[in-house]
Amino acid sequence: MIKDVLMGLWEASGFAALTADGVFLWQNLVMILVSFVLLYFAIAKKCEPLLLVPIAFGILLANLPGAGLMDDPTGLMDTSNIVEGAHWYDTGVLRLIYAGVKSSIFPCLIFLGIGCMTDFGPLLSNPVSLLLGAAAQLGIYVAFVVAILLGFTPNEAASIAIIGGADGPTAIYLTGKLASHLLGPIAVAAYSYMALIPFIQPPIMKLLTTEKERKVEMKQLRKVSKTEKIVFPVVVLVICAFILPSVAPLLGMLMLGNLFKECGVVDRLSDTAQNALMNIVTILLGLTVGATTNGATFLKLETLKIVALGLMAFCFSTVGGLLLGKLLYIITGGKVNPLIGAAGVSAVPMAARVAQNEGRKYNPTNFLLMHAMGPNVAGVIGSAVAAGFLLAMFGN
Amino acid sequence: MLSANILSMKMPLSEALAVSLIGIATVIVILAVIACLIILVSKAIRAIEAKTSSEKEETPAPAPAAPMAKGTSAGQVELINTNEKEAAVIMAIVAEKTGLSLERLSFKSIKLMEDEKKGDENK
Repeated sequence: MIKDVLMGLWEASGFAALTADGVFLWQNLVMILVSFVLLYFAIAKKCEPLLLVPIAFGILLANLPGAGLMDDPTGLMDTSNIVEGAHWYDTGVLRLIYAGVKSSIFPCLIFLGIGCMTDFGPLLSNPVSLLLGAAAQLGIYVAFVVAILLGFTPNEAASIAIIGGADGPTAIYLTGKLASHLLGPIAVAAYSYMALIPFIQPPIMKLLTTEKERKVEMKQLRKVSKTEKIVFPVVVLVICAFILPSVAPLLGMLMLGNLFKECGVVDRLSDTAQNALMNIVTILLGLTVGATTNGATFLKLETLKIVALGLMAFCFSTVGGLLLGKLLYIITGGKVNPLIGAAGVSAVPMAARVAQNEGRKYNPTNFLLMHAMGPNVAGVIGSAVAAGFLLAMFGN
Repeated sequence: MLSANILSMKMPLSEALAVSLIGIATVIVILAVIACLIILVSKAIRAIEAKTSSEKEETPAPAPAAPMAKGTSAGQVELINTNEKEAAVIMAIVAEKTGLSLERLSFKSIKLMEDEKKGDENK
């Protein structure tokens, strides 16, 4: 009797599940170790902890043998492991939450929160910033071509390329629509590179700009009126959505959030969207994105290719912004500091901070942050437009 | 949108290059259009606002205010054991924290609370 109980306990344990059907699931163990490393970086090194802690914990949960948190026995999202007679409520709890990613609800809600937190003032006072935000999408299209050359399908190539937009929710949104089987590696790569911006961008900045250019002090931005700030989100949404309707879900939520912030009559909604709602969705999004990285499907050569392509996309996006910055430096007779072009990748406000820090290294009295915030928030619009274009091309 | 057959197959390099070029051009054109619109809309809004403010200035000025009592600063704020510089800083902080401009705020008095200050220091 006691032996039967102990045997049953052993068979139900994760240790037994690790060697189920005579196959040792070493990939799950590797992914558990990866989650520990990511947790270390998030907690000890404070690398994007708000995102990395839930993502790393999602990786841990999804790779616990036998826990079944991402099981999909009814084939709600994955038809490869359908179990006869299973009900929807037999689905793993993280798989059910993952519906928010698959249906694009989470990325759109994150954009709502970002809109509430974004001040488009620097962009409105210097609209040329928008061009820098556009040029900094170069990496997306370079990575797309290289991904095609490496044998990815157009849908996969487009999803991988969007990592160059340096915008996590946009990458998740597009990948969820075009190549959801790649969501795990793409999301992890996108967020990892966003966290690594202070290490990736400075060498490229140094390489492509001269010391004289890096020392340029820019004149103070004009004050933007409240009316301009209220009109801006409405105008941008209408123009973009009429030209590229596929951009409406992301940009619509971003601009709704910004209107909440700027109109001044819905402070409670703005507060909820940028604090409580944003935090809830970040937990659910991070956790379920991490949970998509099941060892058996994640540890492949394909993942390494995606990680490499993502890094390349990031670098080329930085190059695109810097090169246009240099062009503006020449056209304006040295009034534009090219470093702000690198902030055109849309990792807000990290990329702008990097431009500020690099500028101050060469001119301690220089204050580029507000000038860099213009291209930075333009990058958010630019990457959303780029995603809309790719969706219009390759979406079903 | 490209056909389903093309999407499931590998794409020729020439086609990928074409998609990339059109893609980056689309992003630049859309953002350039937005930039132009921002410039136009901003100019229009500033012109309207300038016109409105000049109309306000043309309206007859109100009767001069009564002379200020001693210890009262500009804007009818009674200052008790506080100098004007400190009062200005406090008013600026209140405006910043509440998100309201100084024109929309009304300060009655600013008083240095000696006892409470000492109490705080002892905590």
